[in-house]
Amino acid sequence: MSGVKKEFVQLLANYGHIGFTFAASILIGLGGGIYLDQKVFDGRTSPWFTFIGLAFGIAAGYKSLFEILWRDRNLEKKSDKEDQGD
Amino acid sequence: MEHPILFISIILEKLGLPIPHGPVGHTFLEKLCEPYMTYTWLVMAFLFFVSKLTLGNLEMVPGKGQNFWEIVVGGMDDFFAENMGREMTDKLFPMIATFGLYIAIANLIGLIPGFMSPTASINTTLACTIIVWIVHHIIGFRAHGLNYYKHFIGPVWWLVWLLFPIELISNFARLISLSIRLFGNIMAKETLLTILFMLAGAFFAPLPIMILGVLVSLVQAMVFVLLTVVYISQADAHAH
Repeated sequence: MSGVKKEFVQLLANYGHIGFTFAASILIGLGGGIYLDQKVFDGRTSPWFTFIGLAFGIAAGYKSLFEILWRDRNLEKKSDKEDQGD
Repeated sequence: MEHPILFISIILEKLGLPIPHGPVGHTFLEKLCEPYMTYTWLVMAFLFFVSKLTLGNLEMVPGKGQNFWEIVVGGMDDFFAENMGREMTDKLFPMIATFGLYIAIANLIGLIPGFMSPTASINTTLACTIIVWIVHHIIGFRAHGLNYYKHFIGPVWWLVWLLFPIELISNFARLISLSIRLFGNIMAKETLLTILFMLAGAFFAPLPIMILGVLVSLVQAMVFVLLTVVYISQADAHAH
């Protein structure tokens, strides 16, 4: 593969999964909350754990989103330093 | 919907082996004859024999076949070393490179009529993902011992109640996003191709989707490898 194509595929790989990870985090948080409400506490605490789980899920989604962005920035910084060192 | 023609299933059926007609077989033999199993073995055999044929006798001055593999393996080795360090690469290169090659071939094989992508089944992708997920935790425990829990509690102690569930959820989200993304992309490609073949196969309607399919296949294999490398390097690195 030529350089441009390789970079294109790498960029797609880097950012193509952001949306899915975000959705998966929210789904897991919401699912955990519903499970706690309906199965563990038999609906007595409904709907509180569902909302708490949803909030945690959304927070986890944003966390993984920022993690991807910050990772890229750190890598850029590192490569800049290495370029200067060479 | 018309079932796609899978030639391995037809051959096995002619041989008298039971082919499951639902998505999941009931007996052990039926489970072994499911299309995604048989096509997984086909991909394994393909990778084995092609590398055997092209790398049967290594030479100092590489020929065509050896040259190809040197580029593929060398490129992956450089990429891993860049992202997770030389030591980790030497330890884990066989596993991750196998995943990369297997997923790439398994995705691409579905573009040929009569073949099916084994990765278009959630069983295959989930199996790969669980292996990766467990391995990155093992790497974390081996690198930090019991201090590995510090990866999950955030930087300051009074935010633990908030950050621990968040870290836990985003860690489990890896399991889902890695497996379902690969499965969903490839299954969508397969289903779209099947439908287009049925509707207007004679007018080359599936052709543009096939071109996109090549890109999707390579990108998804790349994503899987890249995320594996990133997760392992994060587990190996020090907590924030």
